[in-house]
Amino acid sequence: MKNMKLQKRIAIAMLSSISFVLMLFNFPLPPFPAFLEVDFSDVPALIAAITMGPLAGILVELFKNVLDWIFSGSPTGMPVGHIANFTTGVLFILPVYFVYKRLSSTKGLTTGFVVGTLSMAVGMSLLNYVLFLPMYTYFLNVPATTGTALTKMIVLGILPFNIIKGFIVMIIFMILFNSMKKWIEKQRMHYLN
Amino acid sequence: MMEKMIFGRFMPGDSFVHKLDPRSKLLFVFAFIIIVFLANNPVTYAALFVFTLLVIFVSRIKLYFLINGLKPVIILMAFTFLLHIFFTKEGELLYHWKFISIYEEGLKQGIFISIRFLVLVFMTSILTLTTSPISITDGLEVLLNPFKKLKLPVHELALMMSISLRFIPTLMDETDKIMKAQMARGSDLSTGPIKERVKAVVPLLVPLFVSAFKRAEDLATAMEVRGYRGGEGRTRYRQLKWDSKDTLAILLLVAMTALLITLRS
Repeated sequence: MKNMKLQKRIAIAMLSSISFVLMLFNFPLPPFPAFLEVDFSDVPALIAAITMGPLAGILVELFKNVLDWIFSGSPTGMPVGHIANFTTGVLFILPVYFVYKRLSSTKGLTTGFVVGTLSMAVGMSLLNYVLFLPMYTYFLNVPATTGTALTKMIVLGILPFNIIKGFIVMIIFMILFNSMKKWIEKQRMHYLN
Repeated sequence: MMEKMIFGRFMPGDSFVHKLDPRSKLLFVFAFIIIVFLANNPVTYAALFVFTLLVIFVSRIKLYFLINGLKPVIILMAFTFLLHIFFTKEGELLYHWKFISIYEEGLKQGIFISIRFLVLVFMTSILTLTTSPISITDGLEVLLNPFKKLKLPVHELALMMSISLRFIPTLMDETDKIMKAQMARGSDLSTGPIKERVKAVVPLLVPLFVSAFKRAEDLATAMEVRGYRGGEGRTRYRQLKWDSKDTLAILLLVAMTALLITLRS
């Protein structure tokens, strides 16, 4: 197969479109603030990572956010939210990919999701603490939330939210995986070898 | 929904701004985002505001579309405005009623931030309202070209962007078809508890993924057959042309920057 590379690139592009469209159907979870939203746009990125390698997954996350930025702009002018979304996605899909690579079964996938959810929840909590929330407050020029208020917001908001989000995406992906197991394996053989 | 997906927020037109090269528009907006942060007193904020109004006027975009783009931001804007009004306690006391007291500095900061919001949202909106997504991608590809030296595969990235832009409408079409097919078999996507609705997404995703990979195979073959072999020496269907208009736009921005630097305190 000579055009394998091209085919892979096109498949990444198509999965990015799916991811972008899924991102539009986002919904907030009732007890959390409105800027924390759940969507299924990580599912195509996971498919990309598992069938075509980690870089493919990262690219899907990237294009999804660039597309969203072009289509709907960003409130502060700076794509802070998009950068945060990209980082969240990458922190989530990479562990799933690496665990699944070691242990290619339903069990491996479940373990991968647990690790991925944890890495996303902990990673985003830390990044929000040192980077994203201060960035927001800087652009809005409001007195920075610091100390206990910031810690409280992260421990009560961002940490549990990401765990629930990871759990929801995991359920969807497991149902999907059960019906597409053979197809996914076939694509893996096709693209990864 | 379909219409919206094809063009994004792009409104075709033939104003001065519409006719600008996407490269100059992108440069203009990126530079503008940076110079907004130069403003720090009433005069500079007023200058920014007037400048933005001028650009809106020249772009001949109906104000309705710009206000529409403001909707998702309005709550955030109101929130920061109120935050400043009530919690910045500097300067003269302007108004006092029971436990509410508004200070001069708070009002000032609130207005400044609102203006900053408005000009940033308006400027980025003007970019996406006057430039089609595909031109933005073309413009970005050229602007990122210098990064080729750092081994960044700019052409490949732009190709993927164009393909995924091109396939969004097709995809929406297909999703619509699959949804109708599932509905004909009695599945219900729009009502019921969240759990059921989430589960109903899966049968929608399976055909989408399968057809995406099939399409990738077909399209790759079609491109090979037509002699695609990467970015080197490729000629373009849509040519970008840098005009005197574009130079003028950039010069305007330089003038604006100079003005802000002299007026800021």
